[in-house]
Amino acid sequence: MSTQVHANLTREQVEQISADLDEPEWLTETRVEALEALDDLDMPDVIRTPGRDWTNLHALDFETLVDPLNAAEDKDRVSDEGIEVLEWSEALAEHGDLVEEHFASVVDPEENYLTALSTALFSAGTVIYVPEGVDAEDVKIRTQMNSRSLFNYTLVVTEESSSVTILERQSTGDDVEGERYYSGIVEVVAGENSRVQYGALQNLDEETYNYTLKRGHADTYATVDWIEGNIGSRLTKSSVETYLKGDSSETKTVGAFFGHDDQHIDIAARVWHQGEHTTADLVTRGVLDDQARSVYEGVQDVGTDAWDTSSYQRENTLMLSDESEADASPKLIINNHDTEASHSATVGQVDAQDLFYMTSRGVHPQVAKNMLVEGFFVPVLDEVDVDELRDDLEELVAERLRE
Amino acid sequence: MSSDQDHLKQTDTEKRFEFKKEESSAFKAEKGLTEETIRVISEDKDEPQWMLDRRLRALKQFHEMPMPDDWPGAPDLSEVDVDEIVPYIRPDVETRGGVDDWNDLPDEIKDTFDKLGIPEAEKNALSGVGAQYESEVVYQNMQERWEEKGVIFCDMDKAVREHPEILKEYFMTKAVPPSDNKFAALHGAIWSGGSFVYVPEDTTVDMPVQAYFRMNSDGMGQFEHTLIIAEENSEVHYIEGCSAPKYSEFNLHSGGVEVFVKENAHVQYSTVQNWSKNTYNLNTKRAIAEENATMEWVSGSMGSKATMLYPSTILKGRGATDNHITIAFAGEGQNIDTGAKVYHNAPDTKSTIESKSISKDGGRTNYRGLVHISDGAENSSTSVECDALMFDNESTSDTMPYMEIQESKVDVAHEATVGKIGDEDVFYLQSRGLDDDDAKQMIVAGFIEPITEELPIEYAVELNRLIELEMEGSLG
Repeated sequence: MSTQVHANLTREQVEQISADLDEPEWLTETRVEALEALDDLDMPDVIRTPGRDWTNLHALDFETLVDPLNAAEDKDRVSDEGIEVLEWSEALAEHGDLVEEHFASVVDPEENYLTALSTALFSAGTVIYVPEGVDAEDVKIRTQMNSRSLFNYTLVVTEESSSVTILERQSTGDDVEGERYYSGIVEVVAGENSRVQYGALQNLDEETYNYTLKRGHADTYATVDWIEGNIGSRLTKSSVETYLKGDSSETKTVGAFFGHDDQHIDIAARVWHQGEHTTADLVTRGVLDDQARSVYEGVQDVGTDAWDTSSYQRENTLMLSDESEADASPKLIINNHDTEASHSATVGQVDAQDLFYMTSRGVHPQVAKNMLVEGFFVPVLDEVDVDELRDDLEELVAERLRE
Repeated sequence: MSSDQDHLKQTDTEKRFEFKKEESSAFKAEKGLTEETIRVISEDKDEPQWMLDRRLRALKQFHEMPMPDDWPGAPDLSEVDVDEIVPYIRPDVETRGGVDDWNDLPDEIKDTFDKLGIPEAEKNALSGVGAQYESEVVYQNMQERWEEKGVIFCDMDKAVREHPEILKEYFMTKAVPPSDNKFAALHGAIWSGGSFVYVPEDTTVDMPVQAYFRMNSDGMGQFEHTLIIAEENSEVHYIEGCSAPKYSEFNLHSGGVEVFVKENAHVQYSTVQNWSKNTYNLNTKRAIAEENATMEWVSGSMGSKATMLYPSTILKGRGATDNHITIAFAGEGQNIDTGAKVYHNAPDTKSTIESKSISKDGGRTNYRGLVHISDGAENSSTSVECDALMFDNESTSDTMPYMEIQESKVDVAHEATVGKIGDEDVFYLQSRGLDDDDAKQMIVAGFIEPITEELPIEYAVELNRLIELEMEGSLG
């Protein structure tokens, strides 16, 4: 594949990044192995139907997008009492064993080409550690990208009966000539009876290509909830995933996106039911305007041993423009019959009757339409427990409607 | 219940399918697939050059195309080695294109179709019947009153000879080109038998026409081609039935079906497939519906080791409608991968897909479907509903719909559910005196009722009977 970058990447560059962060040998080795694996790895799976790939990652020119040694960012970390929110080198120094135990335990660095690239090159990272029994709120990580490329890594570990709410935001700062690339990997290890709520709001500029993989492992009685807002970027390929490993574990994913111009938003929500009595609820709503295109994949995979599973999925897309395209594939893969599973997906436009009603009450048609779009997001916004994220998402939607 | 239904009820359905006849054929091609094989088949059929040319072109495409083995969760086709199958067997029947009197058939073939109940059904409920044994149609007959109106129902070889202009235009050119997929290409190279149905303008064929396909020999492949053309304001219901006894070697069935539904016409295509559980059933079926036309696909997939079948409709004309109804039942060792494809290429088009699947004893069902709405297909609507019932923990049920929506003035809805057979329902029925098996059978019959309702009563009874057999675990 001519577009791949690794021909220009060297072991020395990777070792340099690792040395700058003062990393232990095992991690340097993991990075070098990931670099060497690039040759044999494929791009992340995309959906294919006869004659078309829903997202074409092979067209991306990684050679010009990736600038390994000049990563720059502004990071703002807000912590809460009793827990640790550490930058990468700090985490390695203070919790070396913890990091070694959990790093790459949820996302295999060599899962695909982009995870390996991310593992080899990440220079920005955060570790959040919540000790047993501690409840924390208002953890915030704001990342502003100021370089051609940025590889970001986040590890969340919650011990037994703890809980944490995390809000992550990505945006772009200093202008860089031309296009850029953001890659983020998030691993969540949720211990027994702990609860993680991880909200992310992506508002990168529309010159930026974005690859994100967020995945959690939920132990017995644990809950991993995700909120995933996608507003920015030129192209996003994002997957939010939970493995319900422990009995009675739960997950809820709430997604919202709003694409305009020629944005391409490819998002996935996936859950693997592995323990018994597990529950999943995946809810996504999106709006498309102009020539924007959305690709949605939902996967509810129920394993052979996942007795007494409940699994629900809903996806609704609203199309504001004839030039836009909405593709969706909600999948059920059921290997245990003791399951109650359902999914539904709809695509439509702003309801003509609603619009008529509002205009007949004297509301200007454009205002009425905007109100209906804002209203469309309400069912997912209602699910968002993090006030700041909900307010920001609402504001970004309103802003886009005003354009 | 009428006596016909009683008759069907009382027949031992299992015996009806599971019997074998001594192989006796007039011509049997060598195993394998080469240009030479194609030439021999074409020569044996005395075909015109243009058809041989199309076959050879399809063969070339077959060799160039990949196996459809990279689909998520698709059946394992590694056993399907086309060089191991016998592609063409001409049964020992003198009249090419089929006799029109059952009594003119050799005894063992006549006996086969008697056991399958085809002549009986012809008398009672059908406008015409075709019967294919191995690679050739051996019986073909239609009531005279339809012939008088210009309705054509004949075997495909005859159609190639007698209606070359129609065939040249429609045969694997518009609906199912050989380039569609590897098995469509294979079909294009070695197709044999099948039916040609032509319904003239303003003609309603009020009783269904039926074709029955029977494979008798071990290790053979059956590749019948069906071409249906329904002219403006016409209406026809075509039913196909399929079966084969079980052998140790694999059999391959790779049929091709092309349906042209002209302006304001209505075609229903119903299939009850009960291939033996060593059969790979890999078909390509496609309809093109013009303005205000209606296409209906009703499919029951009960048999086969592996089925890959996604009947598709291209809604080409404004106001065209497509309805899909499909039932899949996978028992032990079966992988039934089926679904529907609909392309909305014109405004005001409408489609509905209703799928019910049942998996049991380690069987695997997969709904795989595509709905595509093109830019400009304003005011189109589609509704997809998939329900799956699972009997036990060894079984698998997947649902993989794909939706591609390029038009905003649409109404698109997809819904799917999966669940086990309800303990409470079983308990309720048991408390009313039914035993466990009867209770489950009743629940399954209720589950698929929306589909059996759409079938002529004889087929609904047949389908229910097949399901009862599956539930007893007494088949295969």
